[in-house]
Amino acid sequence: MSIFSWDFAISRFPDLLKAVPVTLLIAVVSMLLGLVLGLLIALCRIYKVPVLSKFAVLYVSFIRGTPMLVQLYVLLYGVPALFEVLNNKWGWSLSADRISPIIFALTAYTINSAAYQSEVVRGALNAIDMSQMEAAYSVGMTTTQSIIRIILPQALVVAVPNLANIFIGLIKGTSLAFAVKVIDIMAVAKIVSAEGYRFMEMYLGAALIYWIICFALEKLFAVMEKRLRRYESKMV
Amino acid sequence: MNGSTIDNLMEIFVKISQKLPITLTIMVLSLFCGLGLGLVIAIIRIRKRPVSYAIATFYLSIMRCTPALVQLFLIFFGLPHLLMLFNIDINSWNKVTFVVIAFSLHMAASLSEVIRSAYLTVGNSQLEAAYSVGMSYFQAIKKIILPQAFAIALPNLGNDCIMLLKDTSLAFTIGIVDIMGEVRIIVGNNYGINEFQVYMVISLIYWVISIAIEKGVSYLDKRLNRSHVSISKC
Repeated sequence: MSIFSWDFAISRFPDLLKAVPVTLLIAVVSMLLGLVLGLLIALCRIYKVPVLSKFAVLYVSFIRGTPMLVQLYVLLYGVPALFEVLNNKWGWSLSADRISPIIFALTAYTINSAAYQSEVVRGALNAIDMSQMEAAYSVGMTTTQSIIRIILPQALVVAVPNLANIFIGLIKGTSLAFAVKVIDIMAVAKIVSAEGYRFMEMYLGAALIYWIICFALEKLFAVMEKRLRRYESKMV
Repeated sequence: MNGSTIDNLMEIFVKISQKLPITLTIMVLSLFCGLGLGLVIAIIRIRKRPVSYAIATFYLSIMRCTPALVQLFLIFFGLPHLLMLFNIDINSWNKVTFVVIAFSLHMAASLSEVIRSAYLTVGNSQLEAAYSVGMSYFQAIKKIILPQAFAIALPNLGNDCIMLLKDTSLAFTIGIVDIMGEVRIIVGNNYGINEFQVYMVISLIYWVISIAIEKGVSYLDKRLNRSHVSISKC
């Protein structure tokens, strides 16, 4: 058996490409949902909402202090356990088997990225000067209005570089989705390479795909950041 | 929850904790090797010699744009093949070695950026001042730049440590029995205990170590920066 078979690598590369949408789907959906959830968590902490802010601190600390892989397993085994309790208590007939793996993955990655994004959003919101809020109040806006119209657009500009990092981290993080039985790029690489005992070929292919995706995203975010900052006056 | 469940959980906790040294060994070894390699990469990137700079940047790009899991598999399956070309047989090596190599390479990339930004923050004027009192480049780095750069880099170093700790949970995928591997065995053997509870136990262990690292770093940060005078006190 030769050390590296180009034939195998090239002929099975399309298999890997077929799994790219799954990876992107998980990353994009959990990024967006995580941003909304993260914003709520950040607002809870900034406005020091009594019970919720304490809970938010605990939540963020737990998610940031434990590996993604463990979180996936906790969810995978936790949901059936929770359903069992609910079924016994209320006489429902929920079944975790009917939930598709992709939903598990989306939930886990949303919960995970919300914690990281809440920290970014909190930092960005704190970076906006308080006078902006006062100015918004002074022209008669409500708190919600001024947050949505004045504060968030500015905070977004501050947050973009960090959010981009989180998104790239998420793309790489989806390589763990095999834990909840999602067939993503990594899982395909594993399955196909086990067929022919050709590990290098498939994993190099997977590495190449991840690299291209992340590289393209890095460039994309750099352009986006430039566009968002075009209204800022230059320091002369 | 009745008494026997708590006993069971305690038993599992003890069992998992016994594998903690392996996790910590992987972590500490990778951290030190990664710091060494990261320092070299950072110096290459700071000095900007054309060819070595391009190589270092390319290396960073690969390491930062591919998942740690892929890197681990590539090292585990690829390195023996690669070295076989030079007639070096490493199939007998301990699996922990492969993990340490993979995570060192992985950490070196992010650590080199931490070191580089810390160096740039300290700034060239410090280097010039050191030259002006007659120090050589390496003396200046050792006595003037590094102590200051370390204080600046510390928070990021702490973050990377925690990242590394969490990444070690991937080591079980190549068959190492660290704390995560032990959990897989417990779940596989099925002691009649809820898998959910087992994973909660291990997340608590990771969480506690993470918090300990965080507290340690912030304590060190306070000590190192106590001589630093804020601009507000000028």
